[in-house]
Amino acid sequence: MATLRLDGLKKTYPNGFVALHGLDLEIADGELLVVVGPSGCGKSTLLRMLAGLEDITAGDLYIGEARVNPLEPADRDIAMVFQNYALYPHMSVAGNMEYALKNRGVPKEARRRKVEETASLIGLQDLLDRRPRQLSGGQRQRVAMGRAIVREPQVFLFDEPLSNLDAKLRVQMRLEIRRLQKRLGVTSVYVTHDQVEAMTLADRLIVMNEGRIEQLGSPMTLYDQPASTFVAGFIGSPAMNFLSAEASGRTLSLPCGNQLHAPVDAHGHVTLGIRPEHLVPVEESDDALAVQVELVEPLGADTLAYVQLDGQAEPLVVRFDGARRLEEGDRLWLAPDLERLHLFDPEQGQRLTTTEAITTP
Amino acid sequence: MATFQRHRLTPWILLAPQLAVIAVFFFWPAAQAIVQAFYIEDPFGLGHEFVWFENFARIFTSFEYLRALGVTALFSVSVAVGAMSLALLLAVQADRVIHGAHSYKTLLIWPYAVAPAVAGVLWMFMFDPNLGLLSAGLENLGIGWNHRVNGGQAMLLVILASIWKQMSYNFVFFLAGLQSIPKSLLEAAAIDGAGPWRRFWTVTFPLLSPTSFFLLVMNSVYVFFETFGTIDATTGGGPGGATRTLVYKVYEDGFEGYDLGSSAAQSVILLILVGLLTLLQFRYIERKVQY
Ligand SMILES: Nc1ncnc2c1ncn2[C@@H]1O[C@H](COP(=O)(O)OP(=O)(O)OP(=O)(O)O)[C@@H](O)[C@H]1O
Ligand SMILES: [Mg+2]
Repeated sequence: MATLRLDGLKKTYPNGFVALHGLDLEIADGELLVVVGPSGCGKSTLLRMLAGLEDITAGDLYIGEARVNPLEPADRDIAMVFQNYALYPHMSVAGNMEYALKNRGVPKEARRRKVEETASLIGLQDLLDRRPRQLSGGQRQRVAMGRAIVREPQVFLFDEPLSNLDAKLRVQMRLEIRRLQKRLGVTSVYVTHDQVEAMTLADRLIVMNEGRIEQLGSPMTLYDQPASTFVAGFIGSPAMNFLSAEASGRTLSLPCGNQLHAPVDAHGHVTLGIRPEHLVPVEESDDALAVQVELVEPLGADTLAYVQLDGQAEPLVVRFDGARRLEEGDRLWLAPDLERLHLFDPEQGQRLTTTEAITTP
Repeated sequence: MATFQRHRLTPWILLAPQLAVIAVFFFWPAAQAIVQAFYIEDPFGLGHEFVWFENFARIFTSFEYLRALGVTALFSVSVAVGAMSLALLLAVQADRVIHGAHSYKTLLIWPYAVAPAVAGVLWMFMFDPNLGLLSAGLENLGIGWNHRVNGGQAMLLVILASIWKQMSYNFVFFLAGLQSIPKSLLEAAAIDGAGPWRRFWTVTFPLLSPTSFFLLVMNSVYVFFETFGTIDATTGGGPGGATRTLVYKVYEDGFEGYDLGSSAAQSVILLILVGLLTLLQFRYIERKVQY
């Protein structure tokens, strides 16, 4: 077990493309850090640099106390679970799992014991003689996990390990990964572009954008206090609604004529963020936002409604209780939860607030 | 139902030209050879006599034939092993630098497009005892080169020429095989603590085994039959039969010795031999290469 420290880690690909712009980061012993971001933001690049599969252009990488920049992947004592699993097709499940032990010269008897132990931990004991092609997707995923666990590495790296599974299996494996990681206490970096996976797995979460860390924090911090419109739009599903508004001190004026009490002082043009779950239906009143329903998406437990508000180009998404019956064309009155409004700079997208903003009335 | 019937006919129609070619150039001559093998014909084609297995009996008691068998064994093992291992070595090197660059691959298959006889002539000139650049070079190094006199050198020359000719074919298949191995497998192996050498033998090589098996079969056929042109142009089976392989002896006895019966019997034996060899390869090796 070990800590992981990144010191100005930078990656420039041979074609001159800068994939990572100097990352500074410390990952605690036993922590599960999730890296989330849109396609092409450099998640895999980061993971591959940690693994030693890509050279580090600049900066330092430490595993525990040791600087590992010059070390080969084999010497870093890490294990990686690949998106396509990368199981050796010509070896049995047991063969796949013991390959790393074999390479390290572990004697046969000890290898067998270790493999069986790990197999029963993750429910593979009956599949040890199978070849990868004789397994289902979920079982392959499990073997890939087993291959990583059996080595007892210092660090686990996961590159979108669940993206090839169906939705139900994904939820199940997500829980299992979480349980195993806590039980084994191995420092882990987990890459995904699924924000639900990110929120549920993470001790801490990084949202990346174009090779930079957009925000780092616990899942709830990122949800409650997104540092930018990018993070706000990425964390939470459905995504946060953005409205344009004029601020004057603590007063926000919306184009539809309503006025709201702002969480912080601001002046001029601002972007107001309201999450779909923070718009509450109320009785008709002058203070409430009058909207018209455009589209209804019943999800069972919840119902999502896309509603039109005067003066906004995009419809707002609102989350209702699933029991509520809604029709297209219905007129509704919504009251935003004033404690959970977010203000952003309309140009840069930065959050206009101090961290206490949420708690100050 | 009617369309189904018609569809059953379509494949045959589409196959017909190919089948016709095979019938004319393979089945017909093969049948002729089998028939011929049981007759002794006089050199002028004036009469022939049915002799049962006399031609075969003569062959198996002939010292010349057994010698050709030995020559063939040495020649075919050297060429197949040489052409395959050199091609694999080059393909592995090329795989490191080429990532789908098609132009290289096209260039590298050129030697295969050279006709066997032309390849033979090329090598013969390079090693010509009087004119050849390479033989002159060897002379300077104090190695006397004359493959027209020295049987061992003649053998070496035909082996080299045949390897050179077949290598590009093997190379292209090996390269394609290598490029179809997912990179992530080798990365996983690297993370699992295998060095480059171990990665090759425990991951790359086993995953190439279907390609290797296919090439083994193709190379066997090549060394037994197709090297004829190379041998004919380079050494003509000489000196003193040192490079006379089975297929070359079939030609010599039939077209130079006019012993058509023996020649036909030899070609039947050769056919059976290669057939058996291929069968063996399929039975015992193919089973091991599936994963
Ligand atoms: N070998 C390379 N040469 C040049 N640019 C590259 C190379 N590999 C990746 N890139 C670029 O670096 C950026 C980051 O790639 P990376 O694979 O890390 O993205 P990612 O965040 O993992 O995306 P995804 O979610 O689609 O897997 C991309 O813009 C990609 O085009
Ligand atoms: Mg990726």
